[in-house]
Amino acid sequence: MSMLRSSSNGSSGLLVLFEESGRNVERTGSLLRELLDDFPEHSSLARDILICEQEGDRITHDIIHEMTINGSKLDQRDAYELARALDDVVDYAEETADSLELYGVEAPMEQAQELAAVLAGASEAVASALTHLRAGEDVSSELIEIHRLENEGDRISREAIASLFKSGTDPMVVIRWKDIFESLEQAIDSCETVAHVIEGMRLKRR
Amino acid sequence: MQESQSAAIHFAPAPVSNVTGVRVQPGPIRLAVIDTDTGFVRVLGKRVGEMGWQHRVLTAPPRPEDLLSMRLHALIVDLAMLGPSGWEFLEHVCDSVPGLGVIVCTGSSSVAQRVRGLRIGADDWITKPCHPQEVIARVEAVVRRRKRSAPGAAEDGPLLAGELEIRSDQFQAFVGGQSIDLTRREFELLHLLAKARGRVLERDEIYQHVWGYAMVHGDRSVDVFVRKVRQKIERFSPDWTYIHTHFGIGYRFEPEAPDDEPTEAPPEEVPSSA
Repeated sequence: MSMLRSSSNGSSGLLVLFEESGRNVERTGSLLRELLDDFPEHSSLARDILICEQEGDRITHDIIHEMTINGSKLDQRDAYELARALDDVVDYAEETADSLELYGVEAPMEQAQELAAVLAGASEAVASALTHLRAGEDVSSELIEIHRLENEGDRISREAIASLFKSGTDPMVVIRWKDIFESLEQAIDSCETVAHVIEGMRLKRR
Repeated sequence: MQESQSAAIHFAPAPVSNVTGVRVQPGPIRLAVIDTDTGFVRVLGKRVGEMGWQHRVLTAPPRPEDLLSMRLHALIVDLAMLGPSGWEFLEHVCDSVPGLGVIVCTGSSSVAQRVRGLRIGADDWITKPCHPQEVIARVEAVVRRRKRSAPGAAEDGPLLAGELEIRSDQFQAFVGGQSIDLTRREFELLHLLAKARGRVLERDEIYQHVWGYAMVHGDRSVDVFVRKVRQKIERFSPDWTYIHTHFGIGYRFEPEAPDDEPTEAPPEEVPSSA
């Protein structure tokens, strides 16, 4: 199915920037998964994630600049929503990495590792969808995958938070991990927001 | 003094615990009182507070795992307040928290009831009305007896295992007289495992004793700290294996030299020079 043909609608620069943002999201998700998988062995990865977050801010700024200066045939509200959701994925992932240090976390939780794996999968699908979007190709399978992963993340997150409130748990563990689970879930939710916006753009182009 | 009226309260983790869950290091006595007699708990609370004890007033019977996580030395319970389920509660607590000193402090009772309570596992029985000073003295006596009979009570001497010397008086382990630079928590973990030499300790059990709280499902703290301890030991004693993983269960301490069968001897206790 043909979608947003960059050559015909004059939004090429914007779609290139979205693709770049998608790659940044994918890299962030992958780094966070690596950080949590072996935490605290590779704590320095948090610094790389922070660089991704700064890179995300730059790309978002470039997207807004591109829309302001050159305009776009893409719906401006959609473009803005998409840029913001992509930025949110990276921001929440960075918040998660930062919390691990800020809260003095000494060891990971399995549920956080599972959520990070889900986020990495969703980020990969986001990047793939944005590449296909620029090429005017079908993105259905990516959008379906993102929705599936969001549901999976929601389930893991609910169970993880419930497990914290069992009797006898260290209150500090509850405080730390509730925040971390929530920021991971918000990062995954932001991937779904990306999928929703792309879906909306696709419908408008029909 | 800390005081509260909740059934789910936690004290700050204590420095060292033995395998029965009771603290063995000297310090303020940690006491919980299950009683709704406000006059009694107020007067008792004032007195123990002045003595520097930490105490909690619980208005509902907590679960044994909650009591364990509070790392108490002693529990005073008014069985009359708990009603018919009081006996069951008493039995459950005495069975589940074996290191805890339990003192029943209740209204008039028959000889049969007192005998039943003591046989179930209560350490002492006080009949109300009673003087708070007597209650305090009895708690002290129970805690004293508990400490004397606790498995870790005679652990002042270094624990020798393979090339490792584990010294609880210094919260450190040594190889050839050289400190392996364990943190407090790493030491507590190693000490706990070494005291239970040859026995597999489950992750939940290790967490409960070292961190002082119930382990949340999925928490990898025990695995991470075992890894850290192994790495530190390995730097100084690379040819020996001390901590063995039992997948899906936990860890077992057993020093094994290269190509050696596991040693059968229990950890050697030597008198402390400190």
